[in-house]
Amino acid sequence: MIELLEVPSPLTVQDSGRAGYRKLGVPVSGFMDDYSARIANYLVGNPGGTPLLEFLLRGPTIRFNASSVFAVAGDVDVSLNGTPIEPWKSYWAKRGDVLKAGTLKSGLYGYVAFAGGIKCEALLGSCSTYPRAGLGGPLKAGDRLNLGYAMLSGKEGRYLPRELRPDYSLRKKTVRVLLGPNLDRFTKKGIETFLNSEYKVTAESDRMGYRLDGPVVEHSEKGADIVTEPLLPGTVQVPAGGKPIVMMRDAQTTGGYAKIGTVITVDLPVVAQSRPGERLRFEAVGVEDGRELLVKRERALMAIRDFLDGKLRAYRIKTGEEELVAFAKVEKE
Amino acid sequence: MGPVIKPLGDSALLISFGEAIDEETNGRVHALARAIEGANFEWLVEVVPAYSSLAVIYDPLMAGLEEVEGAIETLFGVPQVSSEGRLVEVPVLYGGAHGPDIEFVARHNGLSVDDVVDIHSKPTYRVYFLGFLPGFAYLGGMDGRIAAPRLERPRLRVPAGSVGIAGNQTGIYPLESPGGWRIIGRTPLRLFNPGKEPPTLLRPGDRVRFRPIDGSEFVELYEREWGGEDD
Repeated sequence: MIELLEVPSPLTVQDSGRAGYRKLGVPVSGFMDDYSARIANYLVGNPGGTPLLEFLLRGPTIRFNASSVFAVAGDVDVSLNGTPIEPWKSYWAKRGDVLKAGTLKSGLYGYVAFAGGIKCEALLGSCSTYPRAGLGGPLKAGDRLNLGYAMLSGKEGRYLPRELRPDYSLRKKTVRVLLGPNLDRFTKKGIETFLNSEYKVTAESDRMGYRLDGPVVEHSEKGADIVTEPLLPGTVQVPAGGKPIVMMRDAQTTGGYAKIGTVITVDLPVVAQSRPGERLRFEAVGVEDGRELLVKRERALMAIRDFLDGKLRAYRIKTGEEELVAFAKVEKE
Repeated sequence: MGPVIKPLGDSALLISFGEAIDEETNGRVHALARAIEGANFEWLVEVVPAYSSLAVIYDPLMAGLEEVEGAIETLFGVPQVSSEGRLVEVPVLYGGAHGPDIEFVARHNGLSVDDVVDIHSKPTYRVYFLGFLPGFAYLGGMDGRIAAPRLERPRLRVPAGSVGIAGNQTGIYPLESPGGWRIIGRTPLRLFNPGKEPPTLLRPGDRVRFRPIDGSEFVELYEREWGGEDD
């Protein structure tokens, strides 16, 4: 069991999300940044979608009431019993140990994963918190959480090399979108504005959606309001004011504003990790590009998982300017 | 004319039957949704119907756009079995503290409060789809004689079960939420219960009839549904 000693900002339990209930109006929810969250789980030997803690900007202070293996994902200072330790690395905690995660130096969401995961009662097939519908609630200081059963030995000391960590610090982030499906609701000029401008993430942003500020995207004479249609996390709606809104994991399942495009799956974490004040640029890609990039990312994540499991070795290689990491099978002796 | 298929990001398709809000179009949406769900495609994640369109969410690691599109197109020709859905009776305590805007709706339309109750509880409404909030039903079939504009300033807190009117639409708030609809009454039924499977009282394609009840029946039903939980 763990106990939350300090919860300085919104902290929730999340997993890979709630599939299958969208037709009943229930959002999918789940990790805002599924790339970082899954790696956090792999670091402690869990399947990628295991329930963990997601914090916004400022990390919690946690006391272990039983020994456990944990890892923190994010660009953040971490300490165990006051001694600095590293993020992106798994550690053994004994009964009574206190873990403190500080404020993220870049990015917006950080993760704390535990071997065996947070034990919770799945509601509608998921432990993801969605307080509006009574599906869990935000956590507070004093809350105690049980951890799932896990073999702990061999799970500590796993480390994600710097080259493989996501870079949240980019000042200008380019986010790839698949344009449509309501392009007839925008003028040619409006679509060009959307693709050739910078948009600032505003403070009116949460797990439901990120409101952006920037040049007005011009609607066609058909206007901004459509007959309510389904939408997805990543969908960019543009209301009559012309300022885009990127829908996120807790987005409602349908919406009545014209949709100019949808962020491709692999770039949704980039949006999620953008703080209010940071800037995004949108780039149009083709329909197969998103899928190819996703297949590539999934392969990379599987390689990272196998590397952390000790099944693959990682090599640093230099190709011209770029430093890359390559993986090779660990040969059995 | 056949529906139009467009990608909605890299993991979904939006299939649109135009922009009409009517039973015939919505019936086609649900018939296709059922056909897709019934075909057991291994790449299918879920289907989300709306008024005149539906989203088909698929796993892009299992199938590409062309494969998904091709598979769905083969279902366009499938004869559409019309489904009436279930008939769900929703008891409503109209007016009073639970329906603070019913007098406005009456006055706005030159009717008495009793007229509003009669007109609202007469038709059988169709659940076009669920969206906005878990369990929120978009109902079709409200009589235009009781139409009313939304509040100029939405309320910060509308209790779960509140029955409202906005323009030509009527609906029920499944959860406590902010809202700008004119509230004419409240049902003691629980529209969304995360501990139940399925979690929603109403489902797409169902039919709804409102039945006026009095305060004592409200209390009795409320206690049965909510079992001592706080209001």
